[in-house]
Amino acid sequence: MNPIDDETLQAYVDGELDAAARARIDAATAQDTALALRVQRALALRAQLRAAFDPVLDEPVPARLSALLQPAVRPAAAVEPFTVRAGGRGATPASHRAPRRWLVAGAALAASLAVLAAGLWWRQAGGGLVRMHDGEPYAAGVLSRALDQSLASEPDTHAAIAIGLSFRAADGHICRSFTVRTPPARAGLACHDATGWSLPVLGPAAPSEGGELRQAGSALPPAVQAAIDARLRGNVFDAQQERAARAAGWR
Amino acid sequence: MNSSDAVREGLIALLPRLRRLARALAGQVADADDLVQVVLERALARCAQWRPDGALDKWVFAIARNAWRDELRARGRAQHLFAPEEAGETVADGGAAHPAQQLELAQALAMLPPDHREVVALVLVEGLSYDEAAALLELPVGTVTSRLARARAALQAHLGSDA
Repeated sequence: MNPIDDETLQAYVDGELDAAARARIDAATAQDTALALRVQRALALRAQLRAAFDPVLDEPVPARLSALLQPAVRPAAAVEPFTVRAGGRGATPASHRAPRRWLVAGAALAASLAVLAAGLWWRQAGGGLVRMHDGEPYAAGVLSRALDQSLASEPDTHAAIAIGLSFRAADGHICRSFTVRTPPARAGLACHDATGWSLPVLGPAAPSEGGELRQAGSALPPAVQAAIDARLRGNVFDAQQERAARAAGWR
Repeated sequence: MNSSDAVREGLIALLPRLRRLARALAGQVADADDLVQVVLERALARCAQWRPDGALDKWVFAIARNAWRDELRARGRAQHLFAPEEAGETVADGGAAHPAQQLELAQALAMLPPDHREVVALVLVEGLSYDEAAALLELPVGTVTSRLARARAALQAHLGSDA
């Protein structure tokens, strides 16, 4: 009889063997007390681990965790820009982080409404700057192209879309703020994911004192600024990093 | 229901299992729940990436494993999370039937390298199949089984002949 190696034995204990192989071990354990003892020990270890960790299933869930999963108050079709503050280190005390979330809740609702309104406006106007994917707004058309191609370090003052800051968000996605110059002016934040440029925030852009839109990034609406603050970890890209990110497809 | 609502509801149901996995990965209760918080935040932030036909638990567990790796990197010590003698408060704080045995187990887990410990957590604690664990860890099944076998041998050696 071939000796049963450790990996075969653990596959037996873990229920990973097919019927024929299992029957072979069944028969072998009946004859071989040393093998039977190895099986016993492997089963005992599994049982000990389950006994150690299964009680966690019955522990009350800390309020700070369940609070994260409360649905935000928002219009059904809109995104929820700030219900999530991505990133943060596990070691950071939650009490330090939690209040921020609620500070921005009002802004989140306002931004959600703005996104909804802007999305409706764009659809009505046929501007084609926003498309919906799974109920979430994504950049389309000239906005999507500008986010893909334009560099803040090489501004085109005649372009309809001005790019502001670019940075890698705490969740790993690259985000870019932008301003739409064609009236009615809008500003927002776009974050690149597998689907395209998602638009967690989109709202009216305030004209500057001179009546002209200020340079994108310098006069962002508070909701956009808050969305950036919530995601930014580290530095915004310099010209070289921005170009490199474009070359890498914003991944 | 949009994807974020679906993910949110799925996460609520998944929370006890996620906490168990986090405890098995991180050991200490506070570390584990901090990890859970990061995982929930990431999962909500990325809910657009989750496909409703995919298993939410595997997706979330993969986020948990990666977040824990990030945390270990941030701590700059990939081998031992904490000295074994600190491990007493790790495993289920209440209701341990055999405190001495639990302490031994916590110490033994703390000695495992992270890539062994995560296999133990996924397969032996969470109960994933080898194939499921391999897919989640993006490893060949053979790597998962050999890590699991080595982790088992190390745990049994540490726990002595009674395990």
